[in-house]
Amino acid sequence: MASNAAVPFWRAAGMTYITYSNICANLVRNCLKEPYKTEVLGREKVHFSLSSWKEGKPLKPVVRSDTAKE
Amino acid sequence: MAMAALRREGRRFAAPLLSPYRPVINPAAASAAAPSFVRSSPEEELPLGVRSISTQVVRNRMKSVKNIQKITKAMKMVAASKLRKIQPRAENSRGLWQPFTALLGDMPSVDAKKNVIITVASDKGLCGGINSNVVKLARVLYQLSSGPEKVARYVVLGDKAKAQLARKSKDDIELSIAELQMVPLNYTQISVLADDILKNVEYDALRIVFNKFKSIVSSVPTMATILSPELVEKESESGGTLGELDSYEVEGGESKSEILQNLTEFQFSCVLFNAVLENACSEQGSRMSAMDSSSRNAGDMLQRLTLNYNKTRQAAITTDLIEIISGKSALEANW
Repeated sequence: MASNAAVPFWRAAGMTYITYSNICANLVRNCLKEPYKTEVLGREKVHFSLSSWKEGKPLKPVVRSDTAKE
Repeated sequence: MAMAALRREGRRFAAPLLSPYRPVINPAAASAAAPSFVRSSPEEELPLGVRSISTQVVRNRMKSVKNIQKITKAMKMVAASKLRKIQPRAENSRGLWQPFTALLGDMPSVDAKKNVIITVASDKGLCGGINSNVVKLARVLYQLSSGPEKVARYVVLGDKAKAQLARKSKDDIELSIAELQMVPLNYTQISVLADDILKNVEYDALRIVFNKFKSIVSSVPTMATILSPELVEKESESGGTLGELDSYEVEGGESKSEILQNLTEFQFSCVLFNAVLENACSEQGSRMSAMDSSSRNAGDMLQRLTLNYNKTRQAAITTDLIEIISGKSALEANW
């Protein structure tokens, strides 16, 4: 499939394995039938606020609040 | 009737005749003025003959202590119900990283040049000493892992740890994360966070410091180590548990370092998920026990205050009785 030195397409695009597996999980969750689907999509909500620090001071926080990781 | 009202107020005023220096205060104004007028030992301020023993102060304290007791009891129950929900999830998530530890081992003693100390703590307070314990462990790790050619940085989850670490080590903080528990904790959220961390820091070893939940009364500060893929490869060459990595057959035709990279990223995400869940459990358990001891203390305080109040009230009544009787006996000259 791929030669020894090539990396998978997603790695070449800059994604980590975590992102890749999350996308796959999202695809699987979207395949479910209705009553289970809404219950399971509720488990995908992301919310946190991240701020990097430079020289001892926090910069403006970035709020990651997607409802589902795409 | 008026006397009874005055006695209920805890004040006793002699007739205006005996107190030329004090303005006449009628009972209505006295009851209105009482809450804002705090006198702890009134005797020395009034001229002779006018006694007023105030139980108002004690009564106010009793009311506020009772309110505090109610609030802490309610907080304890809320924490108990949250703990019940999150505890099975934390215990189940332990199964996520156990295969990784079986495969890659947990090696806290591997020497790493760049250490990133990920401190997991809570956003809200009133949860006992768990946040200080985690920060203490993080500081010790920092001392252990800084030295010649070695660098250590902090990534802080939770406002409580951020406040404590920012006091002394603010130049070493790389990232700080807050508002983690606004939505119920789930794997997707933690993995997005793990992804952000991986993209923003360079590391040879990631050390996750959190509170492992043993029981409501005991939360142990724990450290989990994740090595970077390069370090894992180096270690596997030198033998030990990691040396057996080569004996595994790899499917998919990818190279070993590729696999190791995927594995370590996924391992980080799983261990972080478990760490955050365990810390949340410890937070609720510790809050339960802190609020419980707080309500118990409030109950003790209430008992002491009640005794004090009754003593004061009875002293006032006894004084009244003595005065009435001695007054009567003074009037009946042949007693």
